[in-house]
Amino acid sequence: MFDNAWNNILDWFRDRSERAKLVRSFNESARSAFVDGIAPTLLKASISKGESAYKHQFSNWLNTGFRIQAFTGRVLSKDELIHIGKVILDDSVLVRRLIVLGWDTLEIHGDAGQYGCRWQLKDYIPLPKFNPNE
Amino acid sequence: MNDSLFQDSLKVATEAMTKSSETGNSTNWWMWLAIAEFGIIAVLILREKLKPKDTAKQRFKNESLKQDIDFNNIINSSFHSVQLYDELKVKCHPDRFPTDKELNNIAENLFQEITKNKNNVKRLLELKEEAKQKLNINF
Repeated sequence: MFDNAWNNILDWFRDRSERAKLVRSFNESARSAFVDGIAPTLLKASISKGESAYKHQFSNWLNTGFRIQAFTGRVLSKDELIHIGKVILDDSVLVRRLIVLGWDTLEIHGDAGQYGCRWQLKDYIPLPKFNPNE
Repeated sequence: MNDSLFQDSLKVATEAMTKSSETGNSTNWWMWLAIAEFGIIAVLILREKLKPKDTAKQRFKNESLKQDIDFNNIINSSFHSVQLYDELKVKCHPDRFPTDKELNNIAENLFQEITKNKNNVKRLLELKEEAKQKLNINF
């Protein structure tokens, strides 16, 4: 029991560091793309509360949402939101990384308006069933 | 007489004190050795016990964390993949090569790849180059 708890504590710290690293890398890429004129809109990733109904076996207790905010200064259309979401979800490596780091919800929304879209991440990667007694 | 008795007593007391201090030193040394030994054993046991378990779930997680993510491509794809996809799907459509069967097959495979990677600018650019070479399309 003690060894399990100890490993869980180490895992928790390691995951936190990896999560922060992923968000930072995304934001750095988005910022340089915006500054270089490659992207017309600035995207910003952050960690949100998430949707508890989307939980899976790797989900964290709290803050399970990966939120991307597009700074357009206007209300984004549903198609625009869905397109950004689809680009993220089509990258299987990124979705897999998000899942193993404890995220279960992807949220996309603009900086204006009340409207946003969210997806359940486990729908986009076939997760194997692990034996809990192993 | 008293003097010699006093001298003898002093000598015996000095010897006894030296012996006891020698015995005390050796006990101390053995105690520290035992503590060190206990420490080493405890570290070895804990290291073995606290080793992370190699479960299927852990392996899955480690493999996922090893792969690199191309964030620049993701950001680029968020804004430019639609135009590129629209251009490629028109120019590489198999119906544009109805007479030549070989070209038609190549176009069909390319078209399938293009549809599969419609949200990936990097891959679409590679397919564009492939289309230029294999189908002689001018973009």
